[in-house]
Amino acid sequence: MNWQNIFNASLLYATWRSATPIIYAALCASITQQANILNIGTEGIMLMGAFTAVSTSYLTGSWILGVLAAMVAGMLMAFIMAIGNLEFSADITAIGMGINLFAIAFTKFLLNSVLGKSGTFSDPAIDPIPRVSLPFLEGNELMNRLFNNWALTEWFVIVLIIILTYVLYKTVWGLRVRSVGQHEVAVTSVGINAKLIQYQVLLISGVVGGLAGAHLSLGYSNLFTENMTNQRGFMGVAAMFFGRAHPVQTVIGCLVFGLADSIGARLQAYGWPSQIVLMMPYIVTIIVLAISMMNKKHRENKVKSALA
Amino acid sequence: MKTDNRAFIVRILLTITISLVIGAFFILLIGESPIEAYIALVKGAFGSKLRIGTTLAGFTPLLLTSVAFAVAAKAGAFNVGVEGAVFLGALVAAYIGINWTFLPKPILLIACFLGAILTGAIWSLIPALLKVYYNVNEVTVTILANSVALYITSYFVSGPMSAGGTVSQSHPVTVTLPKIMFPSNANAGLFIALAITICLHFYLKKSKYGIKLSFTGTNSLNAEYAGMNPKKVIIYSMMISGALGGIAGCIEVLGVHGVFLNNFAVGLGTNGMLASLIVKNNLVAVPFMAFFLATLNAGAMGIQQNTNVPKSIVDTIIAIFILIATMDGIIAYVKNRRLKKTNKTEVTR
Repeated sequence: MNWQNIFNASLLYATWRSATPIIYAALCASITQQANILNIGTEGIMLMGAFTAVSTSYLTGSWILGVLAAMVAGMLMAFIMAIGNLEFSADITAIGMGINLFAIAFTKFLLNSVLGKSGTFSDPAIDPIPRVSLPFLEGNELMNRLFNNWALTEWFVIVLIIILTYVLYKTVWGLRVRSVGQHEVAVTSVGINAKLIQYQVLLISGVVGGLAGAHLSLGYSNLFTENMTNQRGFMGVAAMFFGRAHPVQTVIGCLVFGLADSIGARLQAYGWPSQIVLMMPYIVTIIVLAISMMNKKHRENKVKSALA
Repeated sequence: MKTDNRAFIVRILLTITISLVIGAFFILLIGESPIEAYIALVKGAFGSKLRIGTTLAGFTPLLLTSVAFAVAAKAGAFNVGVEGAVFLGALVAAYIGINWTFLPKPILLIACFLGAILTGAIWSLIPALLKVYYNVNEVTVTILANSVALYITSYFVSGPMSAGGTVSQSHPVTVTLPKIMFPSNANAGLFIALAITICLHFYLKKSKYGIKLSFTGTNSLNAEYAGMNPKKVIIYSMMISGALGGIAGCIEVLGVHGVFLNNFAVGLGTNGMLASLIVKNNLVAVPFMAFFLATLNAGAMGIQQNTNVPKSIVDTIIAIFILIATMDGIIAYVKNRRLKKTNKTEVTR
């Protein structure tokens, strides 16, 4: 086995490429977690977004409309969760799983009946998210290979991370969101409408989740497959736990999963059984999640013993 | 208590009706007739002896996976990982059934079941330990673990345990459960599943553990004050849950396929979860809901074959069930509004 063919510079981009859909998903989950709502429905929101993006882009020939439609679809899915959880006291985990299953079934139904396909839908008429070419990098081979021709959404995720971090940690609204997450009753007692904040947070999370799906189907690939999210939404949730819902820290978790994914893809070329390779990101995710939660527990125990 | 039960049943029926209406709306949207589709669904599930048998064969594992979900849910653990237990339990049962031929048949049969039970229980022990000791979210872990289980079995059945054909499957097992409605796949596993469900119901109702379970599920702090250990109860319930999944896998291998077939259990875990969630993990109602979902799943083929409606409509309808069913508050909300209205009219009068 030639290690240099596995660990080389292009692994960096490969990692980033496989991590970005998970980063979007993790951001989707982080926003609601800040207000103490566990967004188990991330996966479903994302899948719905992926389908809407592809079908809109196919029907209108415009990736911009595709992305916008995906965001609206994601928001609608989140809205169902919000209504169910905030108005009708649905258990957030139960309704989140309901959203996931609904997304799998409904996208399959639409794929069969509206687009008339089963399994996979790809068509040259689907307008993908454009790739950013940076001509000034072409002189340097390494830089060119690493940073040229990223999908627009692969750059945009960096902007989104910065925006979300700023909004959550530097604005009044962000402070309110985080205080709703810490102590809802206290927040209500000082005259802030906690429910309104929870609605806002869920809807914004839906928009981000829809964008996650659009990136997956129009930026990461250029097609739609049944259940194409393949539990990336849950990896996002795991990364969110890992980074304790802080946008920048969750990215680190996502990068670990992206790395596992892209190393796996390279190992397959060396005759590793495909199942073992495909299994790796899931196992890595579980292990990382477990270790980070153990760490958290350990830290909490330390704080407790310091107080006593 | 009696009115409670009636309200419960009315609520479920209402949920089902609303979902079927929404489903009909979707069918209309794609320009097909909902009535024809629903007739095709019923015929697809009960139209002939073969079809009834197929429905029962689908019901058997679903009953076990839905009870499995319900038991864990009663303790407050959301075990989405039953499917993983089904896969791994089935794999171990198949391994024992193929290789331990030195055992006499009846003992071999029991060994298969025991192997599956142990595997399922141990597999579910991992997320349970992580949950109770380190507060790791069990939904995330179990759903990712399902993929791991799927790939593990897929690896074995297309590698070390492969029968070598074009289809990824193992060699046939040497001991099987008798079929009860030839030529369908319905088998004696149905009675095993029913017996287990009934026994479990009484066990949970009468035993010390059952009382602890219902205490922990409703209020784990309260249970702790009363001197119970909620951690132990959760771990125990998750293991029972996994064991039931393992049994379902064993029945599928010994009763239906006779081999370990790659990917055979995809969707069993989620459907079980659905059946249990719709009836709020009520162990008396779970079998009925499992039967209802099995009927829908079996009827889905009928829809696909006899109308232009894709069978994914059935999954969509089931998913709508669950969305509506989780919203506890809807009934209370409607009642409150009615109350307000009557109050208002009284005041204005």
